[in-house]
Amino acid sequence: MFRCVLTAASLVLFACGSTVHAQKQTVGAPPEASNMKQVGTNDLQARSAYQPTIHHQGDRWIAYIGHHGGTDDVPAPVNPMTGKAEPNGTSIVDVTDPAHPKYLRHLPGQDGKYESGGAQMVRVCDGKSLPKGDPNAVYMLRTFGSEAHEIWNVTDPASPVLIARIGGLKDTHKSWWECDTGIAFLVSGAPDWRTRRMTQVYDLSDPAHPQKIRDFGLPGQEPGATGAVPTELHGPISTGPDGNRVFFGYGTNKGGILQIVDRDKLLNGPKEPTPDNLRYPEIARMPMSAFNGAHTTFPMLDMPVAEFAEDKDGRTRDIVMIVDEAILNECGEARQMVWFADVTTETRPMMISSYTVPEASGQFCQRGGRFGSHSSNESMAPVYYKKLAFIAFFNAGVRALDIRDPYHPKEVGYFIPSITSATDKRCIPIEGGERCKVAIQTNNVETDDRGYIYIVDRANTGLHILELTGPARAVAGLPKN
Amino acid sequence: MAMIALGALSGVRTHATEHAGQWQEMSWPFPRDGWPAGRAFRCTAGGCDGAELYVRAKRGFCNCDTGVADDDEVDRVTDIDLISPRFTPVAAGEAVSIAAMRGRIRHYDFDMPDGARHAAAGLALSRRCDLLVAVAQGAGEANAVQRAALVFLETQEMKEWIAAALDGR
Repeated sequence: MFRCVLTAASLVLFACGSTVHAQKQTVGAPPEASNMKQVGTNDLQARSAYQPTIHHQGDRWIAYIGHHGGTDDVPAPVNPMTGKAEPNGTSIVDVTDPAHPKYLRHLPGQDGKYESGGAQMVRVCDGKSLPKGDPNAVYMLRTFGSEAHEIWNVTDPASPVLIARIGGLKDTHKSWWECDTGIAFLVSGAPDWRTRRMTQVYDLSDPAHPQKIRDFGLPGQEPGATGAVPTELHGPISTGPDGNRVFFGYGTNKGGILQIVDRDKLLNGPKEPTPDNLRYPEIARMPMSAFNGAHTTFPMLDMPVAEFAEDKDGRTRDIVMIVDEAILNECGEARQMVWFADVTTETRPMMISSYTVPEASGQFCQRGGRFGSHSSNESMAPVYYKKLAFIAFFNAGVRALDIRDPYHPKEVGYFIPSITSATDKRCIPIEGGERCKVAIQTNNVETDDRGYIYIVDRANTGLHILELTGPARAVAGLPKN
Repeated sequence: MAMIALGALSGVRTHATEHAGQWQEMSWPFPRDGWPAGRAFRCTAGGCDGAELYVRAKRGFCNCDTGVADDDEVDRVTDIDLISPRFTPVAAGEAVSIAAMRGRIRHYDFDMPDGARHAAAGLALSRRCDLLVAVAQGAGEANAVQRAALVFLETQEMKEWIAAALDGR
């Protein structure tokens, strides 16, 4: 008996020792990984990164990566290609050979630090798919800090040309652009609206001549309203004219709302922003806990669920994956995580499952920086769609989830990049000052049609291109590597 | 734009007790929401009798660079919607500074469930990416309630609590 106790005590001590080791990342230490491995990397000029969009452009694959503004210590990092200090903007990287990504161009953004500057968001469409685009051109829609949306001709990704600008805004964020219709749901801050972020619907089918369709938001956010102001928009995702739905996510880490909207009614209904007109296209609204927000609302409609295969009804389900965004460093808030909502009966959406990284698996609350989810991949390419989802989880890296049964999502892989000398510190206030730690802050993730996974870091560590290994590849039906 | 800097207000320092009122702490009266509960007080004497003051920190809820930029932001972030979701601002707000934090304060009218009309002052101050919000409400004269609440928030005890709350301590 005594021996058993000793053994147990030894195990506890060993576990504690491992825990201490796991709490702190150090420069030079290898990445932490399971069923994922690094293929290539690029430092992105040590700029804090937000949205990556990977575009198959002719015979090349180009990564367009949006950046936040600079930091207090380095407001405008030097671009080694020009030798000049440039406010963070958009990185354009040729990832045709993912093992050797080639940095093509940094396109400066708005002056300003953190979320007040840079050019966080980016979407890309081919002119040949846009109804009135130049069929030989490729277009990039990006934000310009908080003040504008811009459209660039990036046919030659090393030499972008500005062709249109929608300015005069008080904020911008995570927009959506339908490449087959040109309809864009721009997350904007219209100056007269009561909320920092709402939707401006534009027809960008002719990218050089943006045509505004309407403003949209939750009743109470519109100009002239009084009383409580509903949670601000974070971002929409549209299923286009065929699906005829737009899924709006409101909130980041608090008071989240999933709103399901009839796209046709939104585009063609009455446009004056009155409470009735704002309610008209809404099909349903699912309020979440006040603890959680809705950063990304990713639709996966008509999913066959193996568990329900023998049921007379409900064998396929319409699912929306909702990802919250962690805001505060070192677990200073309620856990932000991933939620799955069954929206098959659209007017009665219901949360069915959730996922979080187990904190104890890496002592993530002690590692420094944010721990919790932020965003998911948004590519609907067949390689992963409705099979695997990738979640950026800040200091817990990227997580690969098997979502084939969305009622029981299961982690099948992860990758936490190594920190580098460029990785920026993250601090929390303590009595009489602050305490800082350095940890990876995987902020956003995207995939390409080939199956590569691109993760970017908020703490300036750059871009990591990954691939699945082992059993995780089998989930996607990829051949062994 | 008017700036109310409490330390600079003529007479506030000299006769603070006249305006501060006497505030007695009470339990936080609102249901749990996304933010941790703050502190609530009732004025028992000193010209603000019967008024209530609710104060709390909202960490990570502010534009880190621009702070509390305009009155829309005050409408959005103060806790006045906890008292009643149907509030109406009565005038443009004013810039205010308390405990080295800057922000804005605005007056509102709203209907209580019993039909009574109440006045309130909503306050939002920023410290980098964090907010300190407060609402003072009562049936009394709005300016007197506001003045008493602001002086109370400037007391050493409250400044220490505010600093700790914004630090997450």
